[in-house]
Amino acid sequence: MSLDSFAGRVVDAPGRLLGGRSDDEHGEMAGTVERWAAMLGGTALGVAGLRRGDWAGMALAAVGGGLFLAGAAGMPVAAPVRERLRDLGEGLGEGGLDRIGGGVAGLIPSARREPTTTQSVVTIAAQPERLFRFWRNFGNLPKIMDHLEAVEIESEKRSHWKAKGPGGVRLDWFSEIEQERENELISWHTVEGSQLPHKGQVMFKPAPGNRGTEVRLTMAYHLPGGQSGRAVAKMFGATPEQQVREALRRMKQLMEAGEIATIDGQPSGSRGAYRPVIGEK
Amino acid sequence: MKALCYNGVNDLRVERVPDPKLIGPHDVIVRVILSSVCGSDLHLLDGYVPTMMPGDIIGHEFLGEIVEKGPEVRNLNRGDRVITVSIIGCGKCQYCQNEEYSFCDNSNPHPQFTEKTYGHACAGIFGYSHAFGGYAGSHAEYIRVPFADTNCFRVPEGVTDEQAVFVSDAAPTGYMGAEMGNIKPGDVVAVWGCGGVGQMAIRAAYLMGAEQVIAIDRYPDRLKAAQLKAGAEPLDYTRVDIYDALQAMTGGRGPDVCIDAVGMEADGFDTGAEYWYDRTKQALRLESDRPKVLRQMIECCRKGGTLSIVGVYGGLIDKFPMGAAMNKGLTFRMGQQHGQRYVKRLFDHIQRGELDTSYLLTHKWSLDDAPEGYRMFKEKNDNCMRVVFAP
Repeated sequence: MSLDSFAGRVVDAPGRLLGGRSDDEHGEMAGTVERWAAMLGGTALGVAGLRRGDWAGMALAAVGGGLFLAGAAGMPVAAPVRERLRDLGEGLGEGGLDRIGGGVAGLIPSARREPTTTQSVVTIAAQPERLFRFWRNFGNLPKIMDHLEAVEIESEKRSHWKAKGPGGVRLDWFSEIEQERENELISWHTVEGSQLPHKGQVMFKPAPGNRGTEVRLTMAYHLPGGQSGRAVAKMFGATPEQQVREALRRMKQLMEAGEIATIDGQPSGSRGAYRPVIGEK
Repeated sequence: MKALCYNGVNDLRVERVPDPKLIGPHDVIVRVILSSVCGSDLHLLDGYVPTMMPGDIIGHEFLGEIVEKGPEVRNLNRGDRVITVSIIGCGKCQYCQNEEYSFCDNSNPHPQFTEKTYGHACAGIFGYSHAFGGYAGSHAEYIRVPFADTNCFRVPEGVTDEQAVFVSDAAPTGYMGAEMGNIKPGDVVAVWGCGGVGQMAIRAAYLMGAEQVIAIDRYPDRLKAAQLKAGAEPLDYTRVDIYDALQAMTGGRGPDVCIDAVGMEADGFDTGAEYWYDRTKQALRLESDRPKVLRQMIECCRKGGTLSIVGVYGGLIDKFPMGAAMNKGLTFRMGQQHGQRYVKRLFDHIQRGELDTSYLLTHKWSLDDAPEGYRMFKEKNDNCMRVVFAP
């Protein structure tokens, strides 16, 4: 998703409201939509940057402030940014709002990070022992990771992972356990020669006040060219962020509720196309 | 089976859809006997909840008979006559364990929507948009209920279908509205909105020891029901100034507890400039909810009093009188009902004759007539408090 379409999404409603000027059209003065986009996006960036609190964060905040001012002053923003992006030869990662920090950092060449690391955390109402046991058997992971078909355990340390992506693309790799601390931590990494070199780590920490266990999952993908996020998304149909969050969510549902909530397979009326009705009045 | 499907803003159609089947191991299938409209459906139909899709089956307040159950359902059996709480709990997460079922972490299959917009995901609700899980609703011949042991409750002998159906939503919502007010003996309680939820809140406030309950609405039939059935002092806001009236009735103190049983589409609570200000902003999508009732409650409530909000809000409000709220030291309590917590208590009250729910049902219609039923309910024609469909 490019910054343009991202901005378009932010101001979708006001954009329509204020005369429906698409952000692809821009004149000397920036269009209303573009100004809105710049101001809103700038504010978001500024806040995201200040929250980070480090140098990269300050850079973000500065970019955000600039965008805001540009928007307020009616300076065209979308076109120069689009050109800049073309120069860089890469777009922003998928994922929309939650990716804003990392995505915009990608605008700045020096901020290209490699590997791409992503982390998510969830609190599960269960003892660390139970959660550790579940995870330690990698054979369980296809239950919580949508893109995995199977994980076969080959030895104490080594496992064979089989995944499938959109369009039935198949991919497999071998992983080895790197570190293991009973009921606290498991980390693993792909063995050499993997098409998708990555590392994973899951940590279990008792939550305060008898609230269960905080489970923190970190994945780091080492792909050339700082393209990890997109490459992974292309292969699995979801960004690393989405995958990590989704895996934890599914694990929580499975461990707590004993099933993963779904509406797949429930009835619905016609989705769009008009179908004969019984009692229309 | 037949089902009432959303097809667009205020476009409802009865369609032929596949029968539901068991999906999860904790599911049951309920044959719907009665299924009520609810004021909160109107927010969906009017297009203020953005994640409705054509084909969605609506309805979330229902009673029926269990006809099928999944392998891991323990406490229920085929043939049980049950009500189902409209907000779905998994029964196992930290929130459900604390009886805060509408905060359930696990019952919403589409948590991304509320995670993005509210910061955290909210529980699934039957027939209540994809932000709340996208579960098929109850205006149908059959409905699938997930986590049935947590969400289905057998109706005790001696409680009629017409009484029991409202224990699904209106009664627990009103009851929780009163409970969140932390009512003490001698308290005066004002309830904005005399639909099903408001009526229940009035009665519940008395059960919790309120000295007097004042009911505010504009529809004579609803005010009359609030007076005759629930024992409230009625106030018609089109005839009196609500602030003046409430102060006059409370010795100038203001009500101790104010309950909002209206929500985001406060219609005509002011026919003047304020209404049109909010209505215009809402139509332009600059403000999603009209907060007239909230503003009035803040102004009217006594210093240090409590505002309890069970009328539904979905998004943003504007011109919120924070200064008044802060300097008067008001307490705000709010939330979707944790119905599972109240079902037993409510059935006890009904059985002892302390709570009458059945008068909410003013019209019992066939599901075939549901689109017309919603029109009547929305326009409040024919003294309609609640239409209930019997498929």
